[in-house]
Amino acid sequence: MSEDKEGMGFEESMKTLEELVRQLESGELDLDRSLEVYERAVALRDRCRKILDESDRRVQTIMETASGTVRKDFRVDE
Amino acid sequence: MSERVTVTELNTRVREVLSSNRDLNDIWLLGEISNLKKYSSGHYYFTIKDPGSEIRAVMFRSSRARIDFEPDDAMKVEAYGHVDMYVERGTYQFVVDSMKRSGVGELYLRYEALRKKLEAEGLFSQDRKRKLPVYPKTIGVVTSPTGAVIHDIITTTGRLYPADILLAPAQVQGEGAWRSIVAGIELLNRVGVDVIIVGRGGGSIEDLWPFNEEPVARAIAASRVPVISSVGHETDFTIADFVADVRAATPTAAAQLAVRDKGEIRRQIEDMAVRMNKALSASLVRMRARFEVLDSKLSPKRAKDRIDYLLMKLDDMSSKMAAALSKKNTAMHRRLSSADARLVPALMDAVSRRTKSSEGTFMRLDPAMRAVLDTKRARLEKVSAGLDALSPYAVLERGYSFVAGPDGRAVTSVRGLSRGAVVTLRMRDGRADAEIKDTEEFR
Repeated sequence: MSEDKEGMGFEESMKTLEELVRQLESGELDLDRSLEVYERAVALRDRCRKILDESDRRVQTIMETASGTVRKDFRVDE
Repeated sequence: MSERVTVTELNTRVREVLSSNRDLNDIWLLGEISNLKKYSSGHYYFTIKDPGSEIRAVMFRSSRARIDFEPDDAMKVEAYGHVDMYVERGTYQFVVDSMKRSGVGELYLRYEALRKKLEAEGLFSQDRKRKLPVYPKTIGVVTSPTGAVIHDIITTTGRLYPADILLAPAQVQGEGAWRSIVAGIELLNRVGVDVIIVGRGGGSIEDLWPFNEEPVARAIAASRVPVISSVGHETDFTIADFVADVRAATPTAAAQLAVRDKGEIRRQIEDMAVRMNKALSASLVRMRARFEVLDSKLSPKRAKDRIDYLLMKLDDMSSKMAAALSKKNTAMHRRLSSADARLVPALMDAVSRRTKSSEGTFMRLDPAMRAVLDTKRARLEKVSAGLDALSPYAVLERGYSFVAGPDGRAVTSVRGLSRGAVVTLRMRDGRADAEIKDTEEFR
């Protein structure tokens, strides 16, 4: 799974996005701040979409051996 | 001389020996079922074994009606029946006429004892249940690498929000299985996953037993990572299920609990996108409305236009009134002129028409008509209360007066006024005609 370069993972991005939308909806921001918040929200929305579309997953097994834990790719036969 | 017999003949003779021997008939055979195969004919073929030996067994469909449980591998049983020979293959087998489970009572007692003990310790308490992460990066799984559980979890999560799967392969039935389950839970805690699914597919109470062992329950309780249990079928409840943060009926359900549906997340993002667009345009509309109100209040040009308009109207009405009322009627004139600015032009027209036609008629204006006029005036006053601040009459009330030229229009500059010009001064309570004696323009 792709880790976000700016340090914010998917969950945090979604949470922040939800918070920004709530701020916009509250109607308490002045115009400059509204636009600023809106721009951030758009960027976050795009990032969330991107993570969802592009990320891939790994399926592995993990086992303890004498030389430590060993991970191996795992595949089930369909 | 030795007898010569065919294979069939021999096996038929063996069969007779076996079936006529009292020691091989009418017996209860104690052992554990393995290699159970259920044929479409309704017959069950399996092996009954103990630690030292094993024997092939068959239970025909007709006998199955006599048992009240579904046989399964690893199940300890007492099978009633007899030994028989399958002539065609030359094998002998135990034919099961009836069967009951053994050791279940003992297992049940152990189960109940542990359940009570851990419940008393508060290990099943709802307060201990942790919330599952919404978007786990890695899902740890403790189960058999060959079973249906891992297969179902991998297949199901593939359609969900992408999370890595880390499988700690474990032995999920038989002696020592609990040890590998505990080791798996501990290992996944050490390497750091976001949620753990622990479980196995359906089976007999013996199969599921590792999940009723105390160390497994303790490992789940001690896990720093939330644990989802999925042990056996929906109707099976193991101690592990009670201790786990969430119990899933099936591995598929466990996967769905662990990660959210991609489509659902997508919908949520799009919903937020719609909401933020709406919110922004709403606040833009709000800002614009506020700006326009302020703008109209602040713009000097607008204010001046408004005052000019009101002055013009006032001039117009004043001259109409002057023409309409006779000089004798100054008392009425005064009363009317204090009201005139507030009356709608149409009403004024009506009044002045009446006045013009006959002074006498106006004097006798019937009380009903006056009442109507009064009501209308009251309403108009209410509506125009906001405009009153701008009304030139308010200015007159404060002690100012204004000057009108011979054309009835406001004179706002000394330019154009010359000595001897006649103007009208309008004051709070009346008017005065005046003649200009001199002018001087301020610099």
